[in-house]
Amino acid sequence: MATAAGCTPHGGCSRTQWSHLSKMERMVMSMQDPDQGVKMRSQRLLITVIPHAVAGKDVVEWLVQKFCISEEEALHLGTLLAQYGYIYPLRESRDLTLRPDETPYRFQTPYFWTSTLWPASELDYAIYLAKKNIQKQGVLVDYEKEHYAQLHKKINHAWDLVVMQAREQLRAAKQRRKGDRLVISCQEQTYWLVNKPPIQCFRKALGRNRVKSSVCLEAYLKFSSQHGPHDPIMSGCLPSNPWITDDVTYWTMNAPMVTAPTKLRVERWSFSFRELLDDPMGRGHFMDFLQKEFSAENLSFWEACEELRFGGQAQVPALVDAVYQQFLAPGAARWINIDSRTMECTLEGLRQPHRYVLDAAQLHIYMLMKKDSYPRFLKSDIYKGLLEEAVTPLETKRRSVGCQLHAVVLTVVLPDPVGQVFGKEQSPCPGCPLCC
Amino acid sequence: MAREECKALLDALNKTTACYHHLVLTVGGSADTQDLREELQKTRQKARELAVATGARLTVALRDRGLASEERAEFERLWVAFSGCLDLLEADMRRSLALGAAFPLHAPRRPLVRTGVAGGSSAVAARALSARSLRHEAEGDFDVADLPELEREVLQVGEMIDDMEMKVNVPRWTVQARQAAGAELLSAASAGASSAGGVSVEERAGPCDPSKALAATVFGAVLLMAVILALCVANLS
Repeated sequence: MATAAGCTPHGGCSRTQWSHLSKMERMVMSMQDPDQGVKMRSQRLLITVIPHAVAGKDVVEWLVQKFCISEEEALHLGTLLAQYGYIYPLRESRDLTLRPDETPYRFQTPYFWTSTLWPASELDYAIYLAKKNIQKQGVLVDYEKEHYAQLHKKINHAWDLVVMQAREQLRAAKQRRKGDRLVISCQEQTYWLVNKPPIQCFRKALGRNRVKSSVCLEAYLKFSSQHGPHDPIMSGCLPSNPWITDDVTYWTMNAPMVTAPTKLRVERWSFSFRELLDDPMGRGHFMDFLQKEFSAENLSFWEACEELRFGGQAQVPALVDAVYQQFLAPGAARWINIDSRTMECTLEGLRQPHRYVLDAAQLHIYMLMKKDSYPRFLKSDIYKGLLEEAVTPLETKRRSVGCQLHAVVLTVVLPDPVGQVFGKEQSPCPGCPLCC
Repeated sequence: MAREECKALLDALNKTTACYHHLVLTVGGSADTQDLREELQKTRQKARELAVATGARLTVALRDRGLASEERAEFERLWVAFSGCLDLLEADMRRSLALGAAFPLHAPRRPLVRTGVAGGSSAVAARALSARSLRHEAEGDFDVADLPELEREVLQVGEMIDDMEMKVNVPRWTVQARQAAGAELLSAASAGASSAGGVSVEERAGPCDPSKALAATVFGAVLLMAVILALCVANLS
């Protein structure tokens, strides 16, 4: 069963992306030209004759002539037209492809073009399913039964309207000739085949893990209290805030690579493994530690995977190959230890390398380091030594330009930031433009 | 009683909306004519009148604080159905505006899509207006003159919906529909069974009525012959 690609995700297609639809519509309209359009035939049912049927091969021929393209391309274009619902087959209504033979097709009415009836409303779909239920005496296709049940649950409040409208629409349709009735029901069926609302999305959303708010709020509080002393706005920054005092010592001391990291920075490495890896100095020290433990290949592998994920597209095949040779091949120089299932999946994926092919292995190694090496690092002598050596810069006592005393008042750690604003009255600097 | 009155009005609005939907389906296709546009205009005018009347009655009923809870639940059900119907009508009116503007009839610089629908829709419109037949008085450029009118009416219906939402506050999730899943099958005898045969276009070349008729004729002929033979035998002996 062919369904349209790209545009059908519910609400996922904004109006600006409809240029392909308007191009297809222009193409369909130029096919309608009585002189230069596609040749029309009549469809002969037992008693009724319905006009305006086209054969697949006529469509292909017209496309080849009009756009001077090859037959293969014309076939592809025609199939696209069918998949987006602009033409529909008359015999096998579920097969939305263009066949270059005598298979009859017909054009879809503009009401049911994807661009007119966007987005496909659930109420309309429910009414359509109810109508089909009545006509087929309850015999629906599996996915339609499922959708029916889901819709009944979802828009239960509107179900009276659904039933009423379904009945009335069928009664209104009976006022038409048999041929017209057939055509209109085919049109509607094609529209809903092409534009099935993706009700399955909700199942995924409902299946996602939901955390109790008490749990996540606790985590949030813990994060805030842990990071509070490290925040330059909440707790001030030592030696001084460069924006106030024009003294850039703070920045130079906290540069990515310095010889003597600050104490706050080293403490931050103990909060989470991610913090440690994000800081280049932390990562360097961790690498030293791992080399002592003879498991440095884990971190090297992780870094290589990061480079693959965020690097250039052109380097992907070469990089994947290098990683394989160095880390994954049996008997490699720095062979990493991952479980057999992940190894199998990864080796399978390496046949068609792309930038995310090593994701599973990378995650495995990350969790391994996090659970095993990281706690040991925190207890190790290296880390303890770093903590002791770390410096805490002193607040600078300023005497020069600007209201530095005022700045000092601000940089003292205060639990009540509001108090700082009103602490102006206690400022010991008379005649200062900032305080008065 | 107010409830029966509201229900009757709602049914009429529902019928008119369904007929309007059916008429809008063919705009831009091969059956699109000035007559169709005129039918659309008459149908939507009727629909708007019904909508205003129903809305007024329901608003009065729901704003009455002295209503019993069962009655209120009933009215709320009717209200939800009514506002859904009005949304459908507004959506269809918007689409007919877009399609009517995209497929003008007066100067055929844009040919209509040959959809295979060829017959007239006056029976549908007559059903909507509860009239026996419809008289067409459309001039040559009816569709052009009608478009600004249609635009105004779309805005009016939108305003009506907003207005009613402001006046009456019915939370949708509290309303329990009376119809269960598959309710449409229960009284499908009148609506469905007769049209069930006529709407399948798959492997069978056409509807089964002619073949049934043929079988009935053959059976009747055989029966007749058997009766004649029996009579002959009875006469002879």
